[in-house]
Amino acid sequence: AERTNSKKSPSLMQLVYGKSILNSASANKDSSEDEESDEDDFFKPKEEVEKKRVSEGLGGGNVNTDDCSKSPNFVDLKCWEEKDLIENIRDRFVTGDWSKAALRNQASE
Amino acid sequence: MGKTAYKRLKGSQNFRQRLLLATLSSTPILIDDIRTEETWPGLQKHEVSFLRLLERISDDCAVEINETGTKLKYKPGTVMGGKHIVHDCGVNRSIGYFLEPLLVLGLFGKKPLTIRLKGITNDSKDSSVDTFRSTTLHILKRFGVPSEGLDLKIESRGVPPNGGGEVVLSVPIVQSLMAVNWTDEGMVKRIRGVSFSARVSSQFENSMIHAARGIFNRLLPDVHIFTDHKSGQQAGNSPGYGISLVAETTSGCFISADTAVSYSRAEETTEFADDEKKDLMPPGDIGEQIASVLLGEIEQGGVVDSTHQGLLFLLCALCPSDFSKVRVGKLSQYGIDTLRNIWDFLGLKFDIKPDPNTGTVILRCIGSGMKNLSRKVS
Repeated sequence: AERTNSKKSPSLMQLVYGKSILNSASANKDSSEDEESDEDDFFKPKEEVEKKRVSEGLGGGNVNTDDCSKSPNFVDLKCWEEKDLIENIRDRFVTGDWSKAALRNQASE
Repeated sequence: MGKTAYKRLKGSQNFRQRLLLATLSSTPILIDDIRTEETWPGLQKHEVSFLRLLERISDDCAVEINETGTKLKYKPGTVMGGKHIVHDCGVNRSIGYFLEPLLVLGLFGKKPLTIRLKGITNDSKDSSVDTFRSTTLHILKRFGVPSEGLDLKIESRGVPPNGGGEVVLSVPIVQSLMAVNWTDEGMVKRIRGVSFSARVSSQFENSMIHAARGIFNRLLPDVHIFTDHKSGQQAGNSPGYGISLVAETTSGCFISADTAVSYSRAEETTEFADDEKKDLMPPGDIGEQIASVLLGEIEQGGVVDSTHQGLLFLLCALCPSDFSKVRVGKLSQYGIDTLRNIWDFLGLKFDIKPDPNTGTVILRCIGSGMKNLSRKVS
């Protein structure tokens, strides 16, 4: 799955909520539909469905994505045998530089 | 009874979370377009199983599914909790899939929940039951969930394709959660873990542990990975092995990573016929891989790992109307989806700001003021 890089996108708020507001507005507008009307559009050309989707602001986005909290992060695994990489995260361990770690927590306060 | 106003949703995405939030906010929902265009349309076995589970633990809830399974009406009831409940999770998705929403739901029940779940305890897709024990339960405690009555017992292991594992989950009830100010990641002071092997040689575990330790060696001496070799009844119905690791920090954060390997499920093999004859990944590679995943999670920063972001945001949102502040690494897709669902169901928006110095993200919100209304008042 795609991850977002916090450094590159300054407006995380927009990234998260921008699209969703559109979606929920169109999803809420009608809440009580009869069963009958459903039978009518039981058979519908695929193109028409696609068109409807686009007009509803859902884009071509897949609404049936897999429901899974674990992100498959095996793809971009780094080779942690390398010395440089190890040095990068050394200060995140108690064996590293404690003052640097403290700084890390302070910066945001 | 008057006509129920249903909140309309589309597709099978975020299925569990939508049902969870619908239940907690007492919002009836109608989901259509569930895999309408796919070869196997409609709800899948594990989703139906989750609906059955919801029915089992709550009173007055109504589930209606159309013939093709592409449309679902769900009217939430009262979460009752209770003891001696048994649920078969099937073998489509692992027990972890069910545990994630169940943990939160159980907290807002009428009575404490004790439930026996049968199915797959470890696979590569969902969090393993070991991760729930080592990490997830600790995150709940952070939000004021009492540790008494909060437990997950692993009675037997089960891996795909045939499962056969069993766990017993106990969740206490709360009146309300406690808001957190949780931004201190601390430093990793020790790494713990569990490896398991079921219906294969216990030597597989030693290879996994040896490889994982090799990666950590240059960083931290305090690494201890326990072994859990199962045989006979306790080993479930399929052979497999796996490992779950957790890094504990000086500020009480738990960062986890886990995986398991076994032969793929029957359903998957029909789609990818090539996979059928594929050998399992050797244990040494598994150990190395999972150690690298854990280091990747640590590198990202944040008070929880990427898998637990969703739960973290959910708990923040379900707090009383107090201010919560948390730090995570890069937002995961599931985390973003969670934030959107929270906005959709609870009308609650987080304030999200990147912290450029560390590459982390700080999120702040005021809880929705969720109170456990079904709890018995004594």
